[in-house]
Amino acid sequence: MADIRRNFTTITIVLIPVAIAINIAVGQLIYAAKIPLYLDTIGTILVGVLAGPWAGALTGLVSNLVWGLSGLNVTYAPFAAVAAIIGLLAGLFAEARWLRSWWKAILAGLITGLVAAAISAPISAYVWGGVTGSGTDVIVAMFRGFGLGVLPSTFAQGISSDPLDKAISFLLVWLIVRALPMRFLARFPGASKTTD
Amino acid sequence: MAEVFGLYKQRASFIHGLHPLTKLAVSGFFLLAGLSLPGMWSTYLLVIFGLLPLAFLSRLLLELVSRTGRIVLPFMISVFLIQGILWSGGTPLIEVGPISFKQEGVQFAIASSGRILIVVGSFLWFALTTRPDQLMLALAERGLPSSLSYLIVSSIQIVPRFQARANTILDAQRSRGLEIAGSIFQRARAVLPLVAPLILSSLIDVEERALAIEVRGFNYPGPKTSYREIAQAAWEPMLQRFLLLAMAGTLILSIVLRLVS
Amino acid sequence: MISLQGVTYSYPGTSSPALRDLSLEIPRGQFCAVIGPNGAGKTTLAYILAGFIPHFYHGSLQGEVNVEGKNAATMPQRELLRLVGLILQNPFNQISGTKVTVQDEIAFGLENLGIPREEMVARVAAAMELVGVSELAERSPLGLSGGQMQRVAIASVLVMQPAILVLDEPTSQLDPVGSREVFQAVREMASSGQMTVIMIEHKVEWVAAFADRAIALVDGALLADGEPRHVLAIDTVWRAGVGQTRYTLAARRLQELGKWQDGKRLPVTLDEATLTFKAFQKRR
Ligand SMILES: Nc1ncnc2c1ncn2[C@@H]1O[C@H](COP(=O)(O)OP(=O)(O)O)[C@@H](O)[C@H]1O
Ligand SMILES: [Mg+2]
Repeated sequence: MADIRRNFTTITIVLIPVAIAINIAVGQLIYAAKIPLYLDTIGTILVGVLAGPWAGALTGLVSNLVWGLSGLNVTYAPFAAVAAIIGLLAGLFAEARWLRSWWKAILAGLITGLVAAAISAPISAYVWGGVTGSGTDVIVAMFRGFGLGVLPSTFAQGISSDPLDKAISFLLVWLIVRALPMRFLARFPGASKTTD
Repeated sequence: MAEVFGLYKQRASFIHGLHPLTKLAVSGFFLLAGLSLPGMWSTYLLVIFGLLPLAFLSRLLLELVSRTGRIVLPFMISVFLIQGILWSGGTPLIEVGPISFKQEGVQFAIASSGRILIVVGSFLWFALTTRPDQLMLALAERGLPSSLSYLIVSSIQIVPRFQARANTILDAQRSRGLEIAGSIFQRARAVLPLVAPLILSSLIDVEERALAIEVRGFNYPGPKTSYREIAQAAWEPMLQRFLLLAMAGTLILSIVLRLVS
Repeated sequence: MISLQGVTYSYPGTSSPALRDLSLEIPRGQFCAVIGPNGAGKTTLAYILAGFIPHFYHGSLQGEVNVEGKNAATMPQRELLRLVGLILQNPFNQISGTKVTVQDEIAFGLENLGIPREEMVARVAAAMELVGVSELAERSPLGLSGGQMQRVAIASVLVMQPAILVLDEPTSQLDPVGSREVFQAVREMASSGQMTVIMIEHKVEWVAAFADRAIALVDGALLADGEPRHVLAIDTVWRAGVGQTRYTLAARRLQELGKWQDGKRLPVTLDEATLTFKAFQKRR
């Protein structure tokens, strides 16, 4: 038993940096292609699904620190806690066997996106004054114009993008898991809960 | 050592020679003080009398200012426009034609901008002057599990290789005349097939990479030693302890100040 | 000393074994090459010797594997780790990624074993010297060429001074000069009695020139075992898809043309070729 646990840790530990690189590379590719999504948590979700909620949470946390430390996007660092929750939720949904069917995966993504929007709103409102410094600020401006407060407007901005983004990310992870060879999946405890 | 890490900039400054934990404590203090102290202007004081002199001593003043500016300016503009103008029910401060900046909104924007400045500035100052591998080494000496330092350093090292691969894929796609253009769906159709092989091939390598660190004793029981030594001046541990106390003090002070006002 | 007795192994979820009833003995200080086509089970054999089978890959393992007189399956893994060093097939994956310079990368294994710093510094310098990467000491290991990475990978395992060194295609990224250097270094280590070497290789020319012994695997089973120049001249080994030296190939061409004396042994090394082809010429 001890050996299984040890091996599980090593391969998960090796998986996490690769997952973080996937987050960043895919996120930038999507950005370069001007697709109005982020898709920069695919790796985090994947680790949560394959290696469990704690590994997913750690991936999210480190991922946002690495975005900052490598100089790519310093503004992500304060959202490390949100990224950790995304990984955690991905792991929990997988444990509840929601990653077995594509529509449940989408549903899990929608819920995760809602939660992410809810937790990032106060961080964004306090640290960044409720704005992102990008095009999506139009949405914030609109809701402020309607007379909504800073926090609700920021949350509304999150709701307009996060659930869709996470639903697509979860669906992609569902697809990736299906494309991976059985002998790879067998290395991870979560894999049996994602396939029928 | 030019190829080491994204942000780290080698300079012949005494700041660069400081122990990573000293710098971590300094930027931690700025971060905590900046986010917790009440009042619009406290963060600006921290920037002017703390961060900027340190950046100057690190011989990275211009570097820090331009990098911070590039990140912070869009936020500041957004926050001033949106919160300054659209603040509902505020007292008009300046009127420009039909629009007016509200006093409360402008105050909010000044406070937010200060926090953005100190968060981004202290993070960047730390990353510009500290090598991540040395930070990890210093943290490992304080008991950080080796698996965590593996995680962070290898992530930082793998990311640029991955980006290079992603760019190669993009370029290959373009040189085959497959422009990534058109409607959102057309662009998505062009990109997603590129992403899949990148992800799958990198995942397959994971197994062998795990064996490779196993074979080199990654899980060998017993204490590990370290090939590198980090120098630390005699006064640095004292400064670190002082900064920790200062953080606790600042936190208490800000709570008290907020309760009083 | 390594001994395998009746080893049969199947990976989890597979029906046909990757190794079939394999029995071998490799004495201390021998330089033993393992040859065979892709999928023959060479890497699987390496994993068995390093204990990854059955500790990492579960599946079904029958038979007995002994390393230095002890059962590898029941020996604590940390003990096996100190005895057997394994250089994996793909040098890109062998680089840990957690170190910023080549010398730190090579020191990684020693740090994990808890070797004191002074000793580490000396051993790292010696290992870099041995594989010829001293001038790369301050470079980033991830920024190296394939060949340079392969040398660093070799040094990073050698530095741990295992009694048994298993190398899985360690020259795949190297040019002829580099390959020769690796073979030479390995040869010297085996000859000095410091190490038993098991080297999986496709470059049979060097195997014939340097190794004490060649083991040919096909479909997980032992096809031939003996001195390289005998093994490499065997027809079934050639037909199984194992590479041939250019001398053997020349002789085989003559055979096809019906100009080879029946039953005469095919030359494998340059020396043999010189002798045989001289005799061949005289007869004409
Ligand atoms: N992890 C694994 N799971 C299932 N089958 C495997 C695994 N690794 C290798 N195999 C199979 O075992 C056989 C031997 O593989 P391997 O030892 O890698 O051969 P070689 O190194 O000689 O090319 C091949 O048929 C291969 O497909
Ligand atoms: Mg192989």
